[in-house]
Amino acid sequence: MTNEKNRKKSQVAAIWRRLRKNKMAVLGLVILSLIILLAVFADLLFDYETLVIQQSAALRLKPPSAEHWLGTDEVGRDILARIVHGARISLPVAFVTIAAATVIGGLLGAISGYGSRQLDNIIMRIMDVFLAIPSILLSIALVAALGTSMTNMILAISISNIPPFARIVRSAVMTIKNEEYIEAARAIGASDARIIVKHILPNCMAPIIVQATLSIAGSILAIASLSFIGLGISPPTPEWGSMLSTGRQFFRAAWWVCAFPGFAIMLTILSLNLLGDGLRDALDPKLKT
Amino acid sequence: MDLKKTVVPEERASQRPLLDIRGLRVEYHTDEEVVYAVNGLDLTIGKGESVGLVGETGAGKTTTALSVLRLIASPPGKIMGGQIWFEGEDLLQAKPRRLREIRGSKISVIFQDPMTSLNPVYSVGDQIAEVIHQHEKCSREEGRKKAGDMLEMVGIPRARYSEYPHQFSGGMKQRVVIAMSLACSPELLLADEPTTALDVTIQAQVLELMSNLKEELGTSLLLITHDLGVVAQVCDRVAIMYGGEIVESGTIAEVFDHPHHPYTIGLFGSIPTLDETVDKLKPIQGQMPDPTILPEGCAFAPRCPYASEVCQHTKPETVCVGGGHQVRCLAHQGAFQSPELMEEVRRGR
Repeated sequence: MTNEKNRKKSQVAAIWRRLRKNKMAVLGLVILSLIILLAVFADLLFDYETLVIQQSAALRLKPPSAEHWLGTDEVGRDILARIVHGARISLPVAFVTIAAATVIGGLLGAISGYGSRQLDNIIMRIMDVFLAIPSILLSIALVAALGTSMTNMILAISISNIPPFARIVRSAVMTIKNEEYIEAARAIGASDARIIVKHILPNCMAPIIVQATLSIAGSILAIASLSFIGLGISPPTPEWGSMLSTGRQFFRAAWWVCAFPGFAIMLTILSLNLLGDGLRDALDPKLKT
Repeated sequence: MDLKKTVVPEERASQRPLLDIRGLRVEYHTDEEVVYAVNGLDLTIGKGESVGLVGETGAGKTTTALSVLRLIASPPGKIMGGQIWFEGEDLLQAKPRRLREIRGSKISVIFQDPMTSLNPVYSVGDQIAEVIHQHEKCSREEGRKKAGDMLEMVGIPRARYSEYPHQFSGGMKQRVVIAMSLACSPELLLADEPTTALDVTIQAQVLELMSNLKEELGTSLLLITHDLGVVAQVCDRVAIMYGGEIVESGTIAEVFDHPHHPYTIGLFGSIPTLDETVDKLKPIQGQMPDPTILPEGCAFAPRCPYASEVCQHTKPETVCVGGGHQVRCLAHQGAFQSPELMEEVRRGR
């Protein structure tokens, strides 16, 4: 029935097939791909120097028109161009921070949930300390201490995202590790590391994926907040959050300055959540048809 | 420990037994109490032999099996004493790395519930292949091929290799579990109530499959069950467990035809026979002793219809009553006279 050699490929194909059946997930994937494509080809679409950086008093706060589809901001820059270029900062930073937080937090949580009680106590109490400080405050403190730069901001946001991951993975691991198939895995001579990585973690994927997609949204907002108080991306570099916050004061007179960057954030988050939901279902072999 | 205890059936006396458990003691420690699960258990299994371990719930059967592979969850479980000799090696002294080598390749386990002993996120074939890769150096392709062979051996078509556990029925899952446990041709298979979760028809199939495979591969088997019928069908020898110790052991013929221990007699008495009409079954009166209290005398004394004053205070020792047939009872030891019991034993079944 199945060709032995193509099996690994066919497993990916099976996940893809299941994902494709989920219309909402496909919608999310399409939107996200569009945003990523726009970001990749931003330079071809909009010239960075003339449209994104160059200010022009004559074009201040122009409403959406044929020339400037999404209008212009308070110093006369094209908002569409800034959003598209802004995606080149917001998306990678958000993905990198959450990827780092997922891996580190996931491992800490797995060790904590599977290991001895003392180890669990040590790791989780450290996590509790981090959780007790509001994450934005933690990021501010870290960036302020380490200095303002892109790397430090990524570091700060990653660190403040680790504790929730550790907590979620720990509780999932604690449920899974009492399952009989884990005992069975031990009975065939699997080592602890192998049991954690190969048997427990794949069974904890659902909560991890959900948390990751939700956190990306939080991460985009955290970048925005840090940029707003001058600890993240410094102007004039376009970034969705800082666009949002500088446009705030003109909101009554020129809604488009705030609305479109906000819409971009919302669209990205929505597409990620749809995709995340679909991915979680597609990865679950029990729902296979 | 006790000299009398390392008795091996005569025809195998020259050979060292494959597994030799001596004086095993296992306790579970919790904040409130200590549960004495296994109290000085002795058990031997020869090469290619199958032994049935019978006893009611809480007698310590599963604890015994898990101790052999050192799979007792610790805490709360603790192996307090004894030796478990396997191929000239005391497993209780073995290092974790060595234990991992033994688990799955030399000794493997079939767990009680096949529904939960397969990982839901891997295909059944991959799970069998995992055992093979864990213990044998072979390529991915060889592993897959061998896992496929194992599936066919237990009567599942190779085409279902990439299907997931939830796509199988209970009986088929148990077959997969059996295939998994036999994949590395282990010397010893510990089957912990392998058929309890299955209905009678599937149970028969699985038992037959297990006996056939055992014959084919020459594997020794420790079959844990509370079903005497299953033991009679599959095993060469039987050991009856009560309150964490073996109260009677011997070949199927010895124990089934002439049960000596009052508990064994009671067990057989509670099984309805085909040729007699009875209105009510005859259960053994009373309850299992509280496992948190170690009895001073014989563990079965409170429920024993033949018990005398001595039984309350003296611990019985294992005595041989002919052949490999051993009993742990004060009456057979000669500590007191019980004509009724002797009459019952003589009558047999």
